[in-house]
Amino acid sequence: MTGPDVKTGGPAVPGKAPSAGGEVVRIAASMTAVCAVGALILGGVYLATERYAEAARKSSEREAVTQMLGLDAHASVLEVSQYLSPDGESVVYRTASEGALPGRELVFSLDGALLKKGSAPLAPAPRELRPLGRVFAARRDGVPAGFLVEGEARGYKNRIRFFVALDTAWTVQGVRVVEHEEDPGLGAEVATPWFQGQYAGRTFADVGALDVTKDPIPEDWRGALRDLGRLSPTAWQEAHGAERERERKHPIYAVTGATISSRAITQGVRATILHFRKRWERIAPYLEPDAREASR
Amino acid sequence: MSEQPLLFTQRPPGAISLLKNGIFGENPVFRLALSLCPAVAVTTTVANGIMLGVAVLLVQVLSSVTVALTRRWIHPRVRIPVYTIIIAVWVSAIDMVLAGFFPLLYAQVGLYVKLIVAFAIIISRLEVFASRMPLIPTFWDGLGMGLGFLFALMAIGTFREVLGNGTLLGFRIVPEKPLLFFALPAGGFFSIALLMAFFNVLERRMSGGKNVAPSTGGSHGQAA
Repeated sequence: MTGPDVKTGGPAVPGKAPSAGGEVVRIAASMTAVCAVGALILGGVYLATERYAEAARKSSEREAVTQMLGLDAHASVLEVSQYLSPDGESVVYRTASEGALPGRELVFSLDGALLKKGSAPLAPAPRELRPLGRVFAARRDGVPAGFLVEGEARGYKNRIRFFVALDTAWTVQGVRVVEHEEDPGLGAEVATPWFQGQYAGRTFADVGALDVTKDPIPEDWRGALRDLGRLSPTAWQEAHGAERERERKHPIYAVTGATISSRAITQGVRATILHFRKRWERIAPYLEPDAREASR
Repeated sequence: MSEQPLLFTQRPPGAISLLKNGIFGENPVFRLALSLCPAVAVTTTVANGIMLGVAVLLVQVLSSVTVALTRRWIHPRVRIPVYTIIIAVWVSAIDMVLAGFFPLLYAQVGLYVKLIVAFAIIISRLEVFASRMPLIPTFWDGLGMGLGFLFALMAIGTFREVLGNGTLLGFRIVPEKPLLFFALPAGGFFSIALLMAFFNVLERRMSGGKNVAPSTGGSHGQAA
């Protein structure tokens, strides 16, 4: 580099070796001060925004629940979180508070025996519990109306988090990818309506054997899937019922150039549904709304 | 920029020439060849390119201005780590504000915002320009570089989206995907090379057939 050196810039000034003690202390003090100021600013921004960020996450989740399960204002939703205990020996289920009632806590051993049953304090779950996913169980007029299950898959680059909507007969109502880091334009296409729409309508038995194919997706079926969100369910059934019947048992068509991502989600959806059904049948009897009222 | 590189002139240049310098003369991608990896990673579509470009523009201007204001307190021997922290603070702050107040936008751009901490172009402008020029020119330099990056990403994104995906801004303009190769990472590098060559030819034509040396930007050899 030629040209006049300008005040502070440029590489370490030649001919001026770092003087021992004082210089090092000044450098350390300068770095510490910068880090402290940066940390203070970020702490302030975090405090100012976290409330809103949390509310935004909650409301988008709430929206996903009502939308994917097709709920109306009369439905109530119970959120159940599943955790692994710190010693890895038991599974803990906690429900969010229901109105004025505190949430419940159920502890099961790994082979499915109930160890403990009680109410969970309103505070968030203790940190040492490892989260294993959540379920939103909807009820309408006191009757179960469907479930939204949170699932995870190992994608091409990072974990893919998704929601699976099920009706009470365990038939898939929809799949929605809510968090992923797949490549834009390739793996990221698993988050598009045409790919996600392929899961809807698969029965529990079909899901158990669900596979992925690299065959190109027929254009009429792709078009039909794109219409999924645009038309009302009845209008869609009327317009595309024939395609749906034809494709009902067909493997999932992979995204071109992103077979790994497509397969990851398919396997994730399958595992999520199989596990969920087993667990739910275990815990459901303890979560009936009136069960606790009666035991009071 | 046929004369001497900007940064060695004694008097800081004016706003217009700084903006032109960022977009054409020292375009971050096509001239300085900086931040190519993120440029390749996100430019499969124009929309992606625009979002990352706007995010970089914001962080570049804010970081440049911050350095111009605080440089007298920054110890010269640790200036690079300090610049990194300044960039990281701005990126994290923007990330949190977006997540809190613009959740819909955040769902679209959140992925890109976090990438910016490690962008060579931003830290190189801090080292080359913001650390030695007055506040006002620093602002224009940051804006020019940000616009230059945005322009480059849009150009690459357009090229790759049309050829690789057959769409533009999501609208299908060619049936099917003509050359999927261009949507893949390797195709991204080819796209950048082709566009770089194209802009070199264009510049040579405009400067009347004179030979334009590539990457004469003062920053390239020094930082990044």
